[in-house]
Amino acid sequence: MFSERELERYKRQMMLFGEDGQERLKKAQIFIAGAGGLGSPVSIYLAVAGVGKITIVDMDEVDGTNLNRQILHYDRDIGRKKTASAEEKLRELNPDIIVNAINMKIDASNAKKLVGNADGIVDAMDNYPTRYLLNDIAIAKKIPFFHGGIRGFYGQATTIIPGSTPCLKCIFPKAPPKELFPVVGVTAGIIGTLQSNEVIKYLTGTGELLTNRLFIWDGMQAHAEEICIERNPSCEACGSTGKKKKTGKKK
Amino acid sequence: MTVKIRFFAQFRELLGTDIMTDVAAGTMFTSLITSVAKKNPEGYAAIFDENGAFHEFVILMKNGKRIDNADAARTAVMDGDEIAVFPPVAGG
Repeated sequence: MFSERELERYKRQMMLFGEDGQERLKKAQIFIAGAGGLGSPVSIYLAVAGVGKITIVDMDEVDGTNLNRQILHYDRDIGRKKTASAEEKLRELNPDIIVNAINMKIDASNAKKLVGNADGIVDAMDNYPTRYLLNDIAIAKKIPFFHGGIRGFYGQATTIIPGSTPCLKCIFPKAPPKELFPVVGVTAGIIGTLQSNEVIKYLTGTGELLTNRLFIWDGMQAHAEEICIERNPSCEACGSTGKKKKTGKKK
Repeated sequence: MTVKIRFFAQFRELLGTDIMTDVAAGTMFTSLITSVAKKNPEGYAAIFDENGAFHEFVILMKNGKRIDNADAARTAVMDGDEIAVFPPVAGG
């Protein structure tokens, strides 16, 4: 059941997927790993769309160098925990949802518990080791993993449905070296918004998901394209002949 | 024969993209990318290690099909092939 305020808030999108779709959003829990460049647009758009419970996890404090892209955080937030800043903004954006902001480093000891009963994981991380960990959790829990990555004017995204699409390790078996990556805020905006769009479609059961395709954005050329991607039967994370991870896998 | 090489993300910044190149029959995937990448030392270093092997994180595709990095040195390119070389984009 929706309040009058909610019915008004969501009126223009219920024209697309009805009150039933909106109810699905309201009942959903989404786990957002990271409250930075990607986590900002992802959480903002999922909050205003009415995703009922948003868990957002980050371990950092807001730094002045974040502000060109991390639009959840304002100048006044420098030095604050990103989770405190994120929780405040998201609650102001939509007081009718639950925001669970957790200040913690995601690691192998806590990832499964942090993700809990979420209906999906949004990858808003800035490193592959944590992405691989969340990929494993998504496989173990059989929940979708909405991948995004950015660098400079370039970005990539895909939607991973465990058991039917390639997983992150099928696509990128080896992590690139760590670096202080250059980036403009709009790249985070484009890729993060695309990830949010995927979450909304998945939850409401509308449209075609970005599955089995790697979306590649070239902001320098204002050009988007996609590459077909396939499962790797010997993938160490999801493959039928790959080694089993300690997080477990379902097939 | 002619093949098309497509670089992505930071490889594209360093080496350009949609490079049409004439190659001799029997040219191997690795040697072709090596010769093109050597035009920019920074681009070469982004793709290859000090032993001239692909960095393990580099993704290689031929006509939309994945080529294992270890197989690239013995995989010949064919006329009309479209070759893609890209890195995992890591930032968030």
